[in-house]
Amino acid sequence: MNSIHLTDEMLQAYLLKEIHDDSIVTHLTVCSTCKDRVEEYRFLIDSVQKIETETFSFNVTALAMNNIMRYAKRKSKKQELTFWGLLIFLLIAISSFSIPFIPRILAIFYSQSILTILLVIGTGLVVLLFLVADITRQYKTKKDKIFKNNLQPIL
Amino acid sequence: MSNEGYYFSDKVIVTNILNGNIQGFAIVIKNTEKLVTQIVSKMTINEDDQKDLMQDIYLKAYQNLSSFQFKSKLSTWIANIAYNTTINYLQKRKIPVIGIANTIEEKFIATENPESATIKTEAVEILNAAIAKLPPLYKTLITLYHLEELPNKEISEITNLPEGTIKSYLYRARIILKDNINHHYKSEQL
Repeated sequence: MNSIHLTDEMLQAYLLKEIHDDSIVTHLTVCSTCKDRVEEYRFLIDSVQKIETETFSFNVTALAMNNIMRYAKRKSKKQELTFWGLLIFLLIAISSFSIPFIPRILAIFYSQSILTILLVIGTGLVVLLFLVADITRQYKTKKDKIFKNNLQPIL
Repeated sequence: MSNEGYYFSDKVIVTNILNGNIQGFAIVIKNTEKLVTQIVSKMTINEDDQKDLMQDIYLKAYQNLSSFQFKSKLSTWIANIAYNTTINYLQKRKIPVIGIANTIEEKFIATENPESATIKTEAVEILNAAIAKLPPLYKTLITLYHLEELPNKEISEITNLPEGTIKSYLYRARIILKDNINHHYKSEQL
């Protein structure tokens, strides 16, 4: 009979094939104590693997997605408020800064004939329309580039 | 699926979500729900807390998705968030993560009704009860290793513990389980 036995760590590692040591195999053939212990571990590991995985009684996807959608809505609202707040602030700031210059600008128009004024306003509107059309076109091109062709990740 | 396959499909899903398809995150939840459930359910008992934790974990994952660098599988990254969030929860409630587990759990048999104990002789049921008595971290490690069949390296990424520590905890957990089962059968024989 053997007086020296294999440690629990060695028996587990042998069963889980973490170590390959012939001396363990040899020892197990002659030592009934260690053989019994290894069988106990084999039974334990086999039984653990038979345990059914736990599931929750609630719907995880629905619960988590509701929470995420609420967060996304809050975030989007916050971003929208920040955008409009900033825009209104800029408009007020620009308007306040422009007030002293308005009489001088109007004075230029008072000295001109109606035809000249209409010509200036018309040219201004055409330039403005051209700029808006160009900005919209650029926005659409960039949006298509970002959102339509990016599903192929760069590996 | 190979690791490259995982990373490719992870990239497609993550890119899609980051482009504004919030509903795409439901796929991420479906793919990782089982693993995250194992971590949360093994470390907590209260259903309300479990609900809060699951919501918190996935919200954190969604908020930080843009910082995911594809260095690991997406499921491993989310499992890491789940593990850290649950550990924080346990620490806030001062519940020990690695409590001093009795090698032989005295209450294991004492609290059992003798009649129902006789009925519950199924090894798996006995083992389930023994696992339930383990400290939260041991329970999680046993589940991740034996039920989810994750390699030590991946468990290490999830728990931020060195592989050697994980091995050592697993050895100890199995010794406790074996002793508890032996104790149970010996008590039944008496």
